[in-house]
Amino acid sequence: MNKVININFQGRILPIEEQAYEILKQYIESLRVYFANEEGRDEIINDIECRIAELCEDRLKKGTVCIAANDIDLIITSIGRPADFEAQDGFEASTSQTQQNTSGNNSSNFYRDGNRPKRLYRDEQNKVLGGVCSGIANYFVIEPWVVRILWFFLIGINILAYLILWIAVPSTSVKVVGGVRKRLFRDIDNKIIGGVAAGLSKYFGIQVWIVRILFLIPFIRFVANFRHMHLFQFWDAPDFPNFLDITFSPGAVFVYIVLWLVLPEAKTSADKLEMVGEKVDLNSIKNTIQNDMEGFSKRAQSWGSDLYNRNKGTNNMNESNDSHESSENHRSTENRKGLLYYIGRIITLCIKGFVYFILAIVGISLLAALFGIGAAATALLPLKNFLIEDGAQTWSVIGAILLFVWVPIIGIVTAVIRKIAGLKKANVWVRSSFIALWVLGWVCIFYFGSSLGNSFSRHNAPAEQSVALTNPTINYVEITAAPKMKYYENHWYQFEDFQGFSDEDTVYVRNLRIRIVQSKTDSFEVKIVKLSNGKTVQNANELASKINFELTQQDSMLYLDKGIGINKIDKFRNQHIIMTIAVPIGKRIKITNKGWSQTNININGRGIRTGTIDRITNDENWYDEWNEPWDNESYQFEKGIEYKMTKTGLESVSPRDIDEDRSDDIKKMDNENLDKEIQLQKLKEEREAIKNDIKKLKEEELQKDKIKVVKVNGLKKDDIGNSNLEKMNKIGKAAGKLSDLQWVLDRFTH
Amino acid sequence: MDIQNTQSQMRKGVLEFCILSIIQQGEVYPSDIVEKMKLANLHILEGTLYPLLTRLKNAGLLNYRWVESISGPPRKYFVMTEEGKAAFGILLQTWKEMATAVDQLTQEKTNTAENSNQAVS
Repeated sequence: MNKVININFQGRILPIEEQAYEILKQYIESLRVYFANEEGRDEIINDIECRIAELCEDRLKKGTVCIAANDIDLIITSIGRPADFEAQDGFEASTSQTQQNTSGNNSSNFYRDGNRPKRLYRDEQNKVLGGVCSGIANYFVIEPWVVRILWFFLIGINILAYLILWIAVPSTSVKVVGGVRKRLFRDIDNKIIGGVAAGLSKYFGIQVWIVRILFLIPFIRFVANFRHMHLFQFWDAPDFPNFLDITFSPGAVFVYIVLWLVLPEAKTSADKLEMVGEKVDLNSIKNTIQNDMEGFSKRAQSWGSDLYNRNKGTNNMNESNDSHESSENHRSTENRKGLLYYIGRIITLCIKGFVYFILAIVGISLLAALFGIGAAATALLPLKNFLIEDGAQTWSVIGAILLFVWVPIIGIVTAVIRKIAGLKKANVWVRSSFIALWVLGWVCIFYFGSSLGNSFSRHNAPAEQSVALTNPTINYVEITAAPKMKYYENHWYQFEDFQGFSDEDTVYVRNLRIRIVQSKTDSFEVKIVKLSNGKTVQNANELASKINFELTQQDSMLYLDKGIGINKIDKFRNQHIIMTIAVPIGKRIKITNKGWSQTNININGRGIRTGTIDRITNDENWYDEWNEPWDNESYQFEKGIEYKMTKTGLESVSPRDIDEDRSDDIKKMDNENLDKEIQLQKLKEEREAIKNDIKKLKEEELQKDKIKVVKVNGLKKDDIGNSNLEKMNKIGKAAGKLSDLQWVLDRFTH
Repeated sequence: MDIQNTQSQMRKGVLEFCILSIIQQGEVYPSDIVEKMKLANLHILEGTLYPLLTRLKNAGLLNYRWVESISGPPRKYFVMTEEGKAAFGILLQTWKEMATAVDQLTQEKTNTAENSNQAVS
């Protein structure tokens, strides 16, 4: 008993047994697989379907009630199964390839023979290792060595890609066309980005999420690696290339993009069949690689001679007869056309790839930046008491951090995880509540911004205070931080590294600016202006008056306090100090960063404004006046260098010390100087001694000459000669040493 | 040497030429081509024919026309284009040259074979 169903097949209504229908379906599926790479596949299958329908109808007309399984079998036999086609028509790649090889051409264009659409194969005939490079070369109609060289230069990135392609791309020796064979496709049904991971998982028969995790590991590592993030300076130019560094492993992204571009989509059910096809297990991979490796050394050897022969071959070809040449020409024109076409395609693909790559980078970095901000803001939350008022402001900042920063991060991460895990998208309610929370986050951030801005909106009326110096008429002043003290960057709103500074209730900020001006008198003057912002002028005045910043003097050293204390009640309202140092003409000043080498202070050195000290009035303009361009280059003042005040401005006295650790350096220098001085002293003494020696010797000489004259008879000639020679030598040596010493001394004194 | 392979190569070489020569005689329905070839003792499967026709059509050598049929939907009839006729002319020329060449060679070969046989005997 068989169930009969009615099908609408190519415009004909056919009653058909279910079993027969199944056979028909399988047959058409097998045709799809067989013609998978035909350009006009759909048309061919359509034509064949039409023909089948026609034949079926013929049978019905002859009186059959319905199409049975054996009817379908007969029809199929008359049309032919894929296996039969193969026996009849020789459109196999291998045959045309042998033709090519025997005719002495490389096989770069044989894939286009027989109007067969191009498909990436590993080239068994021209392979070195796995034939991937020559396969790619064939695909793009270029010389294999070009690909090999490119591949070699990108070796780090490419090993993974090579292995994947080696395993995944069918070799030209695979002749099982029409049979169900496994092919790597992009699985567009289960895709997140390009379906590459899904396709790979289908190919290897593993869970999708494993492949995805493998692709994501480098990204996760990157995000986890916070050293890349300078918090708010995320886009800092010199750091950006790090982003593409190997730690980020462009390998995964690169492989993904390459596969995305190269792999076809699994569009039809035939493709999908091929995609899951036969099992590619570890064994078969091992076999492939083993087989390929065995021939490797042999091929490597014969490769060189091959190249040589090929060159010879091309020479011979030029000498060959006319008909041969004409066919060559024909082929080369064909080649050129193809080349242009494929160059165009490559360019399009490159552009496409580049755009996707940029988009991916932007997306990833946005997420990473958001994550960084979130982490930083959360980490700084304990410090909020020093900045933010209780009540609405506190709530708004918590709201802003939670809703504006963390909600989207969680949303994106969960969405990604859901995708990876292959779950359905979160439902509308969840998504819209996420969006609503984020909108609330926007409200919070705006409220917080405006309210905090309001808290900083006014500044105090400044008053200058003189700091009494014990001996203002000294010649030299050095300003430095109290020992073992860290100095903050004193950008105006800079919060940095409070650790070790915040006792329970107080943090210290180093909002300090130092101005150096010319003194009108012959004594140093130090003046301090305490400044603060606040909600109102009174509030600002009050905060400014609470600033407690002390300078300690010790001989010529001025020690700066450890910072401006900020407590939880008064909050940070941009309290800052401008210190003015008046240096008399002809006297020296030095600002060092002993012990806090990595920090900066803005120092205004060059601008000599004798008048400014008295300029602060109730007039509102003063503030702008004081907001001098601190980072202006003309105001540059280097730390650790001694400057001398002249009529026109500061002039550096000592050369700049290169080493940052100045204290050690100075000590070392001192020691060295001392050593040299001692050496010099010794040398001087030695010189004196030698001079005396020479004198003595000369005197002796004179006396001996006299003696010689007197006692010339009593001595043998030879003796006199010898003793004379010795003495002459001695004198010569002493003179030489003397001149050496003279030279050394000259150098020292110079 | 793989004889089957060579045979299929030979057949493949002339297949398109044969099909073109049938179509060149006038508008034709694919199954008629199969019939005609069967008469000439050349067996071809429809499953092989359709892809060939499609390739030739895509190459611009053939064109097709939908012809109403008495029973069922319209059927596809193939005709030759001008380009196809030109291509057919070239192929015909080649075939004639080749046929004479092959004939000559095979005859020579058989002649020499006979001669050698005679010499041996």
